[in-house]
Amino acid sequence: MNERSLIFLALAGIVSAALLLRPGLPIGVTDSAHEVFELIESLDSGDVVMISFDHEASSLPEVGPLGAAIADHCFRKRINVVGLALFAEGTAAGYELLTERAGGAGARYGDDWIYLGFRPQYTAAILGMGESIPDVFAADYRGTEIGTLPLGRRVLDYNDIDLVVSVADGSMPTYWVEYAQARYGQKIVAALSAVMVTSFTPYLEAGQLAGILPGLRGAAAYEQLLNSPGAGSRGMDAISGAHVLLALLVVAGNIQLWRSRRRRRNP
Amino acid sequence: MRDRLAVMAASACGVLLVVQYFVNADWLQASYRLLLSWMQAIFAFALVVGVLAVIRDRIARAGRTTEERVNAVVMVGAALVISLLGFVGGTGRESPFQWAFVHLQAPMQTTVFSLLAFYVATAAYRGFRARTIESGVLVVAALIVLLGRVPIGEWLTPVLPGGADWILNTPALAAKRAILIGIGLGMAATSLRVIAGIERTYLGGR
Amino acid sequence: MNLETSITALLTLAIYSFLAGDNPIYRFAEHLLVGLTLGYSLVITVSSIIMPEVISPLATGEWQAAFPLLLGSMMFLRLVPRARGWSQIPMAIIIGCGAGLALPAMLKARVVQQLGATIEGVGSVDGILILIGVATTLVYFIFTRRDSGAAGFTSRIGRVFMMVFFGATFAYTVMSRMTLLIGRLEFLLGDWLGLLG
Repeated sequence: MNERSLIFLALAGIVSAALLLRPGLPIGVTDSAHEVFELIESLDSGDVVMISFDHEASSLPEVGPLGAAIADHCFRKRINVVGLALFAEGTAAGYELLTERAGGAGARYGDDWIYLGFRPQYTAAILGMGESIPDVFAADYRGTEIGTLPLGRRVLDYNDIDLVVSVADGSMPTYWVEYAQARYGQKIVAALSAVMVTSFTPYLEAGQLAGILPGLRGAAAYEQLLNSPGAGSRGMDAISGAHVLLALLVVAGNIQLWRSRRRRRNP
Repeated sequence: MRDRLAVMAASACGVLLVVQYFVNADWLQASYRLLLSWMQAIFAFALVVGVLAVIRDRIARAGRTTEERVNAVVMVGAALVISLLGFVGGTGRESPFQWAFVHLQAPMQTTVFSLLAFYVATAAYRGFRARTIESGVLVVAALIVLLGRVPIGEWLTPVLPGGADWILNTPALAAKRAILIGIGLGMAATSLRVIAGIERTYLGGR
Repeated sequence: MNLETSITALLTLAIYSFLAGDNPIYRFAEHLLVGLTLGYSLVITVSSIIMPEVISPLATGEWQAAFPLLLGSMMFLRLVPRARGWSQIPMAIIIGCGAGLALPAMLKARVVQQLGATIEGVGSVDGILILIGVATTLVYFIFTRRDSGAAGFTSRIGRVFMMVFFGATFAYTVMSRMTLLIGRLEFLLGDWLGLLG
């Protein structure tokens, strides 16, 4: 068995073992999760949060728990939710997620939440909603005219939206910042795939983003705050194991480098 | 003549949209909203054209081996079946279209990207070697953030999450900010070139 | 272990077979996925935008929808080799609009506000460090001749900041990819094999 196969097996083994054995490492609440939680907690029943599913299907295990935690928090507080997608694959995923979470919370479609659907040209969509949401979405994802829905009649532009949460696995929150926040002053939170976190900390530090919820760790922390462990929390032992393995591999690789240099210097 | 028309259209739209950002006139705002709606529709048609082009290309290239022919049939067949299911059965939660997305497409796509986890692990062993001081800095930063951002690191010592926080919010932030500023300036320059009609690569290299 | 879970599990394993090397089973699954994705994109695009925003308004007498329909239809000329050039016109409109919208937005959000935040943050040690990092990294990118002198020294410091950024980004990339793997293994062990309880 070669080196590569050993590494593959070690990775699959450690993740499976962590999932099966569930050591139950304590999950702390991160500052970033706390900030986002407080933002939504400060909203009142009847306020409106727009959740934009700006991701592909491939990142669902990571951004799905993020979207679910945010949606649960909104529905629990009776905050109205307007869902949409700026990625084609996020459309079905977002609709599935919101329908499931709304059903669990007893939220009614049309009154408590609506799903606008997909728009492919994100610049035009984000800017267009600043002028008129019904102009961008004349009908919702189900084909119902927006003006016939009670919540649809209330949300005309960003003045009627208290917070936008972009659930993203790429750079979409950048465009929300550049177009919605910079031009219309809309408050934006990015619920991000972990790989994108380092790209968005400058926006957070500059105050252009109101908060960042990063990856599965962010979802786990948020679930702790909601007192409702879910997919985020379930993955924490496994991700700890995987990261320890990766750290050991990095160290092992460097030990090998050091030893081969010593051998070359002292043949 | 056609190319000149295209360049003029690009310049006119670009100028109008820059001006409307600063000038608040009714006709400008109306033109702005009109162009936003046109962008959406044109982009949607472009997506459809893209899908059809890929299907056409795949059919044209299939034929060298039996396996290639079978795979081409599988690909085109899947596209046709899903399209039919979606157009006829709708996209509702109980529809066959949604079922296929939840049980076939999404899991398969996630699995493809999860393959990278294995290759990242081999890259961590073979590629992350501190051959110079600078690459040593990279390795140390990676180790601190790797362990500091997961519960086991937080459980081992508060130094790890604290270190990871500092790395993320200070040196890494500074470098990324510089990259953002550089890209922002570059993209602004490119936008100006498009509006001025100097940048014409969207015409297909002519 | 029901039928639909088993189908999903078998397709998952077909893709994981790539770890043992490229093989016909993996290629079959890959082509199936591409086909599903193409069909999905087509349905979502047509049913979300083209039908409700272009075709339906035109059918009810809103003649203004004829313009985007005409421009959008010109995109199809891309598929006809002799008429492909005409598809450049709607493409040019998109590109021009994108450039016009991006120019002020980019300058404000990525340049002015970011520079402002850098300068405003100089009240603390970390803020000064951020200023040094931004300045030195910009020198690294902007100066082509940086092998010696002040530019050389400054850009070397910028490189160190970049290395820290790449190290942190690698760690977060690991987290992202591992999460996807955890999701799939959780499905296989839990939903399919019922081992997770």
